[in-house]
Amino acid sequence: MQTEFGLIDLTLVAPAVALFLTSCVPLLIKVLRGNREQNTFATLVYAYMGLVIAAGFAIFTMGTEKAAFDGALVFDGISSFSTLLVLGIAAVGLTFARDSYSTNDRQFSEIMFLTLNCAVGMLTVAWSNDLIITFIGIELFSLCLYVLIALSLEEKLSKEAAFKYFILGSFASAIMLYGISFIYGTVGSTSLPDLLSAASSLVSTNRMFLLGFVLLIIGVCFKLAVFPFHAWAPDVYQGSSTPLTAFMATGVKAVSFAFFLRLVASQAFTVERFWPFVDVLQWLAVLTIVIGNVGAFRQTSLKRMLAYSSIAHSGYVMIGIIAAGIGGASMLGASGVIFYIFAYTLMTLGAFGVLHLLEGRADSDLTVEDLKGIAKDRPWVALSMTVLLLSLTGIPPTVGFFGKLFIFSAAIKQGLVWLALWGVVGSIISVYYYLRPVVAMYMETPTLDREDAGMRPLSYFAVALLAFFVLAFGLASEPVYQVVLASVGKVF
Amino acid sequence: MLLSQLIFLPLIFALVVALLPRENWIRPVSLVLSSLHFLLSCVLFYRFDPSKATVQLSEVVPWVPTFGINYFVGIDGISFWLVLLSTFLMPLVILGSWRSIETRVRGFHVCLFLLTCTMVGTFVALDAILFYTFFEASLIPMYFLIGVWGGARRLYATMKFFIYTMAGSLFMLVAIITLIFMTQSQLGTMSASILDFYKLDIPFVANEFINTQTLLFFAFCLAFAIKVPMFPVHTWLPDAHVEAPTSGSVILAAVMLKMGTYGFLRFVLPIFPDATQYWAWLFMLLGLIGIIYGALVAMVQPDLKKLVAYSSVSHMGYVVLGLFALNIYGSTGGMYQMLNHGISTGALFFLVGMIYDRTHTRQIADYGGLAKAAPVFTIAFLIVTFSSIAVPLTNGFIGEFLILYGTFKTSWLFGGLAVLGVILGAVYMLWAVKRVFFGPEGQVVHHHPEGLDIRPRELAILAPLVILIFWMGLFPGDFLNWSKASLEHLSDTGSKYELTIEK
Repeated sequence: MQTEFGLIDLTLVAPAVALFLTSCVPLLIKVLRGNREQNTFATLVYAYMGLVIAAGFAIFTMGTEKAAFDGALVFDGISSFSTLLVLGIAAVGLTFARDSYSTNDRQFSEIMFLTLNCAVGMLTVAWSNDLIITFIGIELFSLCLYVLIALSLEEKLSKEAAFKYFILGSFASAIMLYGISFIYGTVGSTSLPDLLSAASSLVSTNRMFLLGFVLLIIGVCFKLAVFPFHAWAPDVYQGSSTPLTAFMATGVKAVSFAFFLRLVASQAFTVERFWPFVDVLQWLAVLTIVIGNVGAFRQTSLKRMLAYSSIAHSGYVMIGIIAAGIGGASMLGASGVIFYIFAYTLMTLGAFGVLHLLEGRADSDLTVEDLKGIAKDRPWVALSMTVLLLSLTGIPPTVGFFGKLFIFSAAIKQGLVWLALWGVVGSIISVYYYLRPVVAMYMETPTLDREDAGMRPLSYFAVALLAFFVLAFGLASEPVYQVVLASVGKVF
Repeated sequence: MLLSQLIFLPLIFALVVALLPRENWIRPVSLVLSSLHFLLSCVLFYRFDPSKATVQLSEVVPWVPTFGINYFVGIDGISFWLVLLSTFLMPLVILGSWRSIETRVRGFHVCLFLLTCTMVGTFVALDAILFYTFFEASLIPMYFLIGVWGGARRLYATMKFFIYTMAGSLFMLVAIITLIFMTQSQLGTMSASILDFYKLDIPFVANEFINTQTLLFFAFCLAFAIKVPMFPVHTWLPDAHVEAPTSGSVILAAVMLKMGTYGFLRFVLPIFPDATQYWAWLFMLLGLIGIIYGALVAMVQPDLKKLVAYSSVSHMGYVVLGLFALNIYGSTGGMYQMLNHGISTGALFFLVGMIYDRTHTRQIADYGGLAKAAPVFTIAFLIVTFSSIAVPLTNGFIGEFLILYGTFKTSWLFGGLAVLGVILGAVYMLWAVKRVFFGPEGQVVHHHPEGLDIRPRELAILAPLVILIFWMGLFPGDFLNWSKASLEHLSDTGSKYELTIEK
């Protein structure tokens, strides 16, 4: 087989190249300065430059529907949507990271390097059209994350979290790789289109392929923290520094769900032999919703609460994935998934951002108690948090409501009313724990002296912007939905 | 544009109040703005044509066209008075909280305006998702009103209120989505318009619970029954009312409970005619239980505000009974009783709030002999009580009479039992009046020998309400004529109910 690389391939992957090159600049400067860190703001500006250039390339090649490197990477609607989402997440994450007390100022170039390369890994997964490339992408962002978690100034929890994530993440990778090997053994290729075209026939005839496919899905479920592979999430989210939690809770999920959608597009779910597994997946979605919401109900630590809530949100998206799968690749389900990821990204980034804004030097693990009386001291932060939490609850007219509306619609359209009802039950439980912080912020008086967390204007601006987007994209959900529809249009 | 202005002007007002430079301007400015809003809503009297049972003053703007969701508002005889009730009460509420709200005045008035926006929106929305949006969004300002300015157990009460209402309405959301897909399969295009829902032919099987129409019917009913609130899902109401500040209680009782009964009238009866016909007995029964249970529990309350709260359960039971009698008398009476309850229970909460501001106790046992210390207050309270227990010449009589008449036409048994409820209602209200105003002087009167009587500001709140009580009692036609065409259209057409848009 002859392999040819052209300029077009390089243009297509230019966002990743741009990110990698800019990520090296501060490190080089640091080396040249004799291992002294330059001003963190300058580093941040380099990162922004890299992200803007990457976004520029991504927008430039948008809508071309091309495959690069002999079909190993594919650039379709889902790719470009995820690309822009990941770049945005990285920008916000780095903004938070620079302002955070748990970030070591003397290591900010390293943090920037790792974060941007983490984003490169995420982009690779989003673009990947080949299981091996996907695996490499997943490993790339996972390895960066392990180190990033451990880089936190916090001494104990972060190291524990990094190690836990490392062990369980490697375990998941192994399962995934094992699955890929089965698939390669039966299909004779790791290319996703080959897999997809073979899937519908092989699922019903070949047990080895079936096993491989199931193992692959289990691997993805690990990254998505779907029950019963969710146990790592609360500990890791709590142990990581809050900016990093925001980055990883959104970025990893966004690209993993994008990959899951590509798998689901294989129509394997419509094959009768696979139905028992679809049933199992449905129950996993239900249990994810229940476990996530019940778990969040019991937490006092806000980060753990949001971690469990993000598990619950994975469950809601799983409903959309299943709806997309069993409908023979239904547009409604797929667009619901992408829209929900978008909504989830906005609200979760924002909610973690608020926690980050309120964290003092000594306390990186806020509880509900710490929020008491915030409304009086920092009214705009409290207002942003309220909007974000209402959106997480799914109160109209926020973007979170429309996310749920589209997901539930997809489920009902496919006759999965019972899944939608479980989603409703989950949402009802969630009202309590999402409104609990609002109660604390507005309706209770502070019991203990709070350390002044400082202003941090950049993060502050980012959080306010996210809260605004949550409202604005809720009221104007149609334009976003049209973009989403256009982006899944070619794949489904 | 009129309806959109009525919905969204309060948002601008909220912004104005939020940005006012000086704290002591907030109350007068809010009062003026809300009065202007009420005057603007009075333009409806000129623009609305009561002789037609159509949707008037409608506006349609696409919102999420992919799902057939529009910003679609319009008004008909059913929503007409409820919109006016909402706008009418706002200036009174602001006047009523003049002295009693001391902290965070700015936030309080912002919440009131946001609440106005969502209440008017709920009543004029003719798109199911838009309705749902306003219906849910109205919870948020009320949640803050109770939670920030409420009594001692406010956090518990406000959380309970929010979770209860949200729980009901989420099931309604699933039902709405199902209906939207039904419009796609039956009418060709996806539409969330309620008018298109009316055209649907939803499969119904009698004697079975698991069928499409029955399940959808109950999903809607759950949401509205919690809001009304009907027995046995009423338990959030006493907590919310007792802990809410006076203004919160007034709005909650006078307007927000009506969202539930309005929902029955707008959604449940016309969209699910077969299921309604089949299950009407259940809702009449629950309404009846609500009437009697509410009255009995109110009778033994030591707390005056809780007594009024339980009387709400009882009165709203009449409304449900009337609506599910499924004839023109019942629905007219139900409609009228919604307004009556808004006026008289609103007034009762105002009165309880006024006396509480002076004495800081609501325990009936602390009072006694108040009639001598506060004669004008006593007269006002007596008038409102008469209205509440449906004494002839007051508005309550017209409403309850029509409801009972309608119920008798449907079922002798329910009618007879409901009359029993009227007697019980008189018992608990008059007994409370006796203990508070007459008899030996209680400790409160001892501690406040003078200065208990009503002040001009409070008179200004009560006067319009008392005038309305008699006006509605003596000349019901002035009010009923505005709703007559729409209500007759509803009860005449039955399962063929459709609404057309007036161009």
